[in-house]
Parts: sequence; C-alpha cells; structure tokens
Amino acid sequence: MQQQEKASLDHLFRPASVSAKEPEKISRPPLTAFQDSFRRLRKNRAAIVSLIILILLGVLAIIGPWMTSYTYYDTDYSAVYKAPNADHWLGTDKFGRDQWARIWEGTRISLLIAVLAAVLDLVIGVAYGAISALVGGRVDNVMQRIVEIIIGIPSLIIIILLMMVMEPGIMTIMLAMVITGWVNMARLVRAQILKLKEQEYVLAARSLGASNTQIILKHLIPNTIGIIVINTMFTIPSAIFTEAFLSFIGLGLQEPMASLGVLIHDGYQAINTQYHLLLYPAIVIIAIMVTFNILGDGLRDALDPRMRK
Amino acid sequence: MKRYIGMRLVYLLITLFVITTATFFLMKQLPGTPFDEEKLNRLPVEERQLLYASYGLDQPVYVQYVRYLANVVQGDFGTSFTYKNMPVKDIIANRIGPSALIGLQAVVLGLSIGLILGIIAAYRHNSAWDYFTMFIAVLGVSVPNFVLAALLQYYVGLKWGLLPVAFWDSYENSILPSVALSVGVVAIIARFARNEMLEVLQQDYITTAKAKGLTNMAVVMRHAVRNSLIPVVTILGPIVVNLLTGSLVIENIFGVPGIGSLFVDSIKMNDYSTIMGITIFYSAFYVFIMLIVDMLYSVIDPRIRLASGGE
Amino acid sequence: MKKKWSTSLLCLLMLVSLVATGCNFSGDKGSGSAPGGTAPAADGQQAKKESVINLSFENEIKDLNQFSTSDNISFSVLNNVSEGLYRLDEKHEPQPALAKGVEVSPDGLTYTFTLRDGIKWSNGDPITAADFKFAWLGAMNPQTSKGGYAFILSDYIKGGAEYASGKGSADAVAIDAKDDKTLVVTLNQPTPYFLRLTTFILYFPLNEKFVTEKGADYALKPENMLYAGPYKLTSFDPASGATLVKNENYWDNANVKVEKINLKVIKEQSTALNAYKAGELDRVMLSSADVDTFKNDPEYTTDIEFRTNYIQFNTKGEGTSNLNIRKALQLAYDATILEQVILNNGSKAATGMIPVQMSGVDHKSFRDLQGDLIKADAAKAKEYWEQGVKELGKAPQLKLLVPDDSLSKDLGTFLQSEYKKNLGIDVTVETKTVKARNQQMDEGNYQFGVTGWGADYDDAMTYLDLWANHTPYRGNYENPKYDELIASAKKEVDETKRINMLLEAEKILLAEDAVVSPLFYRGNSFLQKPHVKNLIFHPYGSPVEYKYATVE
Repeated sequence: MQQQEKASLDHLFRPASVSAKEPEKISRPPLTAFQDSFRRLRKNRAAIVSLIILILLGVLAIIGPWMTSYTYYDTDYSAVYKAPNADHWLGTDKFGRDQWARIWEGTRISLLIAVLAAVLDLVIGVAYGAISALVGGRVDNVMQRIVEIIIGIPSLIIIILLMMVMEPGIMTIMLAMVITGWVNMARLVRAQILKLKEQEYVLAARSLGASNTQIILKHLIPNTIGIIVINTMFTIPSAIFTEAFLSFIGLGLQEPMASLGVLIHDGYQAINTQYHLLLYPAIVIIAIMVTFNILGDGLRDALDPRMRK
Repeated sequence: MKRYIGMRLVYLLITLFVITTATFFLMKQLPGTPFDEEKLNRLPVEERQLLYASYGLDQPVYVQYVRYLANVVQGDFGTSFTYKNMPVKDIIANRIGPSALIGLQAVVLGLSIGLILGIIAAYRHNSAWDYFTMFIAVLGVSVPNFVLAALLQYYVGLKWGLLPVAFWDSYENSILPSVALSVGVVAIIARFARNEMLEVLQQDYITTAKAKGLTNMAVVMRHAVRNSLIPVVTILGPIVVNLLTGSLVIENIFGVPGIGSLFVDSIKMNDYSTIMGITIFYSAFYVFIMLIVDMLYSVIDPRIRLASGGE
Repeated sequence: MKKKWSTSLLCLLMLVSLVATGCNFSGDKGSGSAPGGTAPAADGQQAKKESVINLSFENEIKDLNQFSTSDNISFSVLNNVSEGLYRLDEKHEPQPALAKGVEVSPDGLTYTFTLRDGIKWSNGDPITAADFKFAWLGAMNPQTSKGGYAFILSDYIKGGAEYASGKGSADAVAIDAKDDKTLVVTLNQPTPYFLRLTTFILYFPLNEKFVTEKGADYALKPENMLYAGPYKLTSFDPASGATLVKNENYWDNANVKVEKINLKVIKEQSTALNAYKAGELDRVMLSSADVDTFKNDPEYTTDIEFRTNYIQFNTKGEGTSNLNIRKALQLAYDATILEQVILNNGSKAATGMIPVQMSGVDHKSFRDLQGDLIKADAAKAKEYWEQGVKELGKAPQLKLLVPDDSLSKDLGTFLQSEYKKNLGIDVTVETKTVKARNQQMDEGNYQFGVTGWGADYDDAMTYLDLWANHTPYRGNYENPKYDELIASAKKEVDETKRINMLLEAEKILLAEDAVVSPLFYRGNSFLQKPHVKNLIFHPYGSPVEYKYATVE
C-alpha cells in the first residue's frame, strides 16, 4: 500500500526494494564451520601429503601381509635372523618369521590401538575435564579427587587383576587403557576451560542468554581444540607402547600375533647385532607419528577460527 | 585462599586414605603369595602355614588392614618380603635418591630447552626454526626412550668414551639417563608452549604492548610467556611426579639403583609391604603436586578462581 | 620479572645438588669407611697395582641374611664371604674347608666333623662348633627361616623336620657341638651327598653373640656382618652392587690371589655387553641374539648349569589326562632346534629330566647311565595323537601355560609352531605373570605348562623327589610304584642300587607315564677378558667362586 502511494508521488524514481536482511548479506557463498576448515586444510600442502602417507600406511597394513608369500606366524628355523633380502624383504626374526608380514600385521593392530586411544581421550577425557571445570566448585573438587584416586592406585595391580577375569585380546587392552588413559587429557581440558570461562567473551555470551551447552560447543571446545589435538598426539605413541607392555605380561595380544610395540620390544633385545629388527618397525611408527602430527597441526590450524587468513 | 588451601589439605588426607584402602584390598586379591611358590611347594603344609603366620598373613584381610594402618600411623611401614629383613622405609629412602636426581635433572633440562624451543617456534611461526622444533618434538615422542637410551649409551658411552656406559659410581653416571629422560619432556613442553604462544601472540593485549613501543623480546617475556603457561604447568605436574618417582626402563638400561624397578618388581612379586609403602609415597607426592599446580593456576592467571562456589 | 625467573632456576639447581648429595653413589669413595676389620688400606700398596675383577649380576642382591636368603645372587655373594665345613673345588668336588676332616659311621648316619685349627671370624673371634649349631638351628627355626629353604637341612638332620614344622624342640635336633672343635650330626637316612650339602650357604656358621647383638639390623650393612670366607664385604647396596676385599683372617688367605672384587647389578644384557666392551666389566653373559657374532671370539666361553626346563602335564587336565595325548605332545617337537637355533647359547637339548654332568655312580654321570629317554619323532607322535583322540572321542583344545619372562615366551612360541607343524593342531599360548601362573598351577587349573627346576645339590634326588608329593603343581601325579622307588632310594646304603632305583624312577616318570616332557638343559655363553683366569662357576647351589681366581 505504501509502495503504491510512493509510486503515485514520484513515479520517476524507483527506490530499490531493500529487505531488512540485505545490508548484512555476504556475497561469498556461505560456508559452514566444517567446510571452512576443510578449505583451509586443503591449502596446507604438508598436511595433505601426510594424509596421503597415512592412508598409504593404512592400505599397506591391510594388504601388506598378502604381498608376500610368507605369513606372520610361519616359523622357519633354517632361516633365522636373516638380514633383509629378495626373499624376506625386511629380514626374519629369531623364529625365522617374515618381518614384512609381521610389521604390516602389527601396523594394523597398532593403528587400531591408536585410534582407540584417541577416541577414548576425546570422549572420556574431554567430557570429564570440561564438566569438571564448567560446573566448578564442589563438583570440580570431587571429580578431581576421583582422578587423583584413579592415579594413586597402581594400575599394574588392576591390570593383573583384570588378567585373572578376562580373556586376552583387544577388548581387554581397551579396558586396561580406559582405566587411566584419559586422565591427562581431562586435566588439560579442565585447566584450559578454567582459564577460558573467566574470559570476557564467555561472560558476554552468558549475559546474552546463551545456554551452557551453547557456551561449551561454540566457545570453549573450539578454543581448547589446539591442546586437545596436541595431547592426542602424545596419547597415541604412549598407547602403542602400553599395548606392548600389556602384551608382554599376557594381557594383550598373544603369540604369534604382533603389534608394532611388541616388534620394537623384540627388536630391542637384539639391538647389538640384529638392528634391522628394531629399525623397520621403528621407521613405521615414526612415519605414523610424523604424519599424524603434521596432520594434527593442520587440523588444529584449520579448526581454529582465529588462524583464518 | 587460606581457607581453600585448608580445605584442600583435608581433602588430600581423605584422598590418600581412600587410595591406601583401595590399594590394600585390591592388592590382596593378586594371585599367588609373596613367597616363591615353586620352593614353597616342597614344604609340608604346616611349615607353609607357619611361614604365613609369621607375617600375619593367616588373619582375615580386614584384620591385616587395621593392623597395617595402625602401624603406618606410628610411622612403621613394615619390612619387605623380597628384601626380607629390610624396613620398607629404608628401601624407599635408598632408592628414591637416584631416581629423583635423574628425574629432576631431566625436568630442568626438558623444561628449559622445551620452553625455549617452543617460544622460538611460535615467535618465528612457519620458519625453519619452527619446523626444526616440531621435528624434534615428533621424534621425541615417537622414538621409544629405551631406543634413544641405547643409542646414547652406545655412542656417547662406548664409541666416544665421553661418559660412563652405566652403573652408579659418581655424578657422571647420572648425565646420560637424565638426557635420555629429558627428550620426551622437551618434546611435550615445546609442543604445548608453541601452541599456547601462538594463541597468546594474537591477543589484543600483545598488540597493545607492541603499540606502546615495547621491544619484541620484552613483549614475549613480559606478556606472552606467562600467559601461555597454563597447559605447560598442567602437563608438567604428572611429568614431575612420574620422572621423580623413577622410570623402570631407563633405570634398567643405565644400571641406576632407582625406585622405578622396585615398584614394578614389588607388584610382580606380591611384596605387599613394599607395594603399600611406594603407593602411599607416590600418591602423597602426586596429590601434593596437583595441589601446587592448582594453586599455580591462580598465580599465573589471577582471573582463575578455583575456590568459587566451593564454600 | 626476569629476576624472578632466574631465582627460581637457581632454586631448582640447588634442589638438584641437594638431591645429588642424598643419592649414595656407590663409587670407591664410600668404600673406605668400612669397619669390621682393620683394612690395610696402606698407601704403599696402592703403588703396586691392585688385582681387581669387575663382575655383574643380572638382578639385585636381595638378602644376605643366611637364615632367610633364597636367591642365587645372594648365595653367590655369601659363598665368598663365608664358608662351610666343606667347599667345592675347581672340579665341583667338596674339599675340607673350615673342617679339617670328617668321620662317618658305618651305617652312614653319623657324621663327626673336626674343625680346622686357628680359624677365625673377621673380627678375630675363633670359629667354633657352636657357631655351626646356632646357624643350622636358626635356618630351620620357623621364626627366623623365611626363605622356604629350611628343607635343605630339615630333610636330612634327625629331629629337623619336627623342629621346622614347629612341633619339635631345638634340643631334639641331632646337632651336637661336643667341644669347640667337634661337631656331630646324626641323619635320618644315609645321605651319600651330605658332604656336598655342607658346602651350601645354609650350612655355614654364624656367630651367635654377634647376630643377637645386631638383631634386626643383622646383614643389612657390611659392618653388621662377620666374615669367615676368603673375602669380606666393604660396601653393599642391594640395587647397585657390592665390593669384596680379601679377608686377612681367612685360614687359606695365602691362596687367595685377587685383592678386590667389584660386583655390579645390571639388568639389561645389552648394557652389560657395552660395559664389557668399554672395559668396565671382565665377564658378561651373552644373549642368544649376540652369540653368533662372538662365537669365534677367543674370549667366548660356555658353561652348563644343573637346571632343566620342561613341560609339566596336568594328569588330571582336560585332554592331558590321556596318556597317548601326553606322549604325542612329548615327541612332537624337536628340542635340538632349541639348542642350535633359538637358544644357541650352550644350552643342550634335553632327552631326560636329570641334567647332563650330574653325578651318577662310579664316576659316570647319571645321564650317561640312563641314555636318551625322549627323542623327537613326528610320525610316532602323530600315531599317539590319533590314538588319544580316538580314546577321548574328540581332539582336545589345548592351552599351554607360560610365565611372562622372555625365555618362557620364546619356548611357548617354539612349541606352538612345532605342534602346528608336526601334529597339525593349534595350541593357544596362555601368557601369565609368574605369580598368576604359579597360582593356576597350584590350583591344578592348567593342561600343560612350561616350567623349570634348578638343582639344589648334585644328586638326581633333587629332581625326582618333586613328583613324590602328588601336588597339582607336579601334575597331580600319583604312581605307587614311583613313590616306592623314591622312598627306598632314600633308605638305600648301597650306592649302585640307589642310583639304579633313581634311574628306574626317571624312566617311569618320563617314558612310561609321560608326566613331564624335557625341553633343554640350561647353559650360558659368556665373554671373559683373557687376563682373568680360573673364575669358577658351579653348576648348582652357590654358583660363583672367586677364591681360586687369578689376574695376570
């Protein structure tokens, strides 16, 4: 109606119809946080190379054992401690078992452990730390005392007790790691959130009526992500070596299964003369770690909104 | 604050009590006896019973527990089952020294190098320094420390003859194990310090500081470092506890008579009194360090209020 | 602010130096302050090069109290700082030591020892027969004996068993210190190896006055011990090692050539090897992986221990209760692979339970008299297996119980692969911590497991006696014929007849009833510096002997 009136007043001028939203419009195609992150990740060449290597390692872990005619468990007592050669690409161990097959078999298990440890950290550790710091006060106090108690009781005792009731295997390893694996993450996240929750923008969000959940998801977790990523990096190798220890005392994998941790332990026994037994599994684990790290860094940068250029 | 500390000390005692109790009852569920069962197998049943009775092991577990607690309150931690006539107190006192020395040296070394590397890496983000630091950090965590220890021992000790290969005869013996232990610390500290510094350096107050004409060095030292310490302090707490209370592998490799192997052996051998002694010692230390870490939060960043809502 | 940082750093550094002072380095500096004997640390002697041997142990020195000690490493130290009535010589034969000689009654039951003249403790007190009586009773007394080793006295000495089980009195034990020089002991049965037993640590003397005076602190520090052997301790720390120097009060002092022995504790074999190469150790044990590299080295030696590793079958276990199954499992692996490939360290493939070189009769070894009892035979094993499966109605699912040390785990892997190859069966290897393994075996909760036994003395009885007690640990084995043979061998005076009974018993245990299955006799390979000569390692009991060693 108003428009008609205006037109009648001055039909020569046609004012542009402006909706209230118009001035706020962003001309670039809209991006969700995830798309944005992915775009930035793609630009990080090192991270992409790492991702490719990691995928390659993953593929080798699956098909590697089938590339050779030897299996990871077949012993050959006439060919023990062979250096790498055309037959056995990475040599043989003290039972004459093919190292190539064993390493990829082991990589498969170690990658599984790594992912498992990371997930545990992310799920239990982050949640526990975040809740403890956010609720604060008495709850924080009690939750932190619980952490101290968990750390205080020697985990080896609990692990040996677990051994009595559980069959060795991945599930048991997982359970053993659930006991203490997430504690550092919880403490780190708690410390960071303790710091963050007193920051001005959280206060601002709160006074604008944001709910706790919104504050956690929108403000606190994104700002903690750097620390979470880095700590995950440290959790993974320690999980891989914890698994080797568990396997050694009979809680984890049983012979002739192997993991990278177990292979490195075995290789170390022959470090003076048969160093190839240590070298190759060590290279694989370092490759996994380096690529995980660079990828992690890339992810961190990509997920952190302030790193946007 | 005083009230908060007082509260925490009360909690500390309660926590210790819970840990002691839980460990005691769990430990008694461990399979086997504290004795060599293969040898014991040869003894007639009465002689075996006499042996158990001489250690009070024939009593119900709760009776043993009450007795143990009563002794501990009087400062008596019992005698070891493995080192048959030695008081647990003396064993721990003897073995904590070497572990604490190499642990402390590793922490000091790791913390200082780690912080410096981390700060430089953040300050020169995406430079060669940055990549070098991160390379060290990745290597530091992914190479198992026993492999590194073996390499150090072989090259520095044997090939170049700079330091003793192993054993515990003089101060020089403590250098290689400390270095081997510190690499992991360098890696972790450098990584966290870099990450936090990167974030802090983008804050407004840094820009302000720069704007008011402070030199870069001064900005970093006065404003950035302090504000990036929270995660470093958090992660350092457990590291300090773990290193000072011994590392089984490093101690074994360098022949250090430390407490790391004692703890694992005592659990494997069901040396009840030693398990309890070390558990109490270790958890008291841990709980205490955690208290200090929590206090440091407020010192580093006065905005953090731990006591809020705690009354 | 900057200042604050440097202050805190300074504080840390001070803390480091504080800790450093409190962590007892075991260097030579500390060893000077050793009382207990006026050590002639003369400056003039230092000019002449002191003869020293540096050796290592692969585990801690756990307990030097003779009443309660039970591990080989403590035994090794004690054997050199003290002495028994007899001592083993370079050929592992007992020779008079603190005793001048012995008279044995015709029935072989009463031993009358006469002590050597002029024997003294390191503090100058004379060593008397009463010192032996005190030590022997203490080792059997349930209040003081805590090592589970009391049987090595109480099984033989009359009245000992009753005393050790808390029922009899000390007065009823037949040890009589007639006078300062004469010790009379009466035994339960004629024991042809009793003189060998007197070389064992628990048979050494102790000075009652000194031990009582020190009370709970006895043997915790070098100054809290008295020494009767060729050496005495000047420093001792369970976790780092010990220093031994010549005991000038020792009766045969003139024949002890090496002035000082440094003993270090080092648990990692690769570290020990590095220390050997760096000249910090004079002898090092090699791990199997390193043997091939050093096999042709002039410094390479091997020795054999009286220790057999074997498989224990549970005769009441599922599947292993069947004799044919057990026989199949006994024959289906080739132990020579262990000798030549997996261990490769001087260990020998076992064909029976009693180790090679253990004494038999008439200067022939027990093993030579018996011959091979078990020899691998895949075809026969397969036959037994099929027979067993037919009897059981189905093939049993087998789990091999293995403790979590590297050697046993390797044995598990080896057996698993051999059973797969020769019988075509999948055996699960069940790794458990030693304590969990022991408990499972004690409760009879296993089918078959890898285990081992080291001899306490040089006689087949140290092994064969084990299966006469019918415990689950020994496979719930019960055969009246076997028990009868062991019991009568204990009473038999005639040496040839006795050994024949034991030969028969071993045959029943292995070949007829297949209760155990031998794997290997333990051997060790070493590197030893050429200037060190005559370092004697006994295959059983108290293994190491420094008395005869020389340095060139």
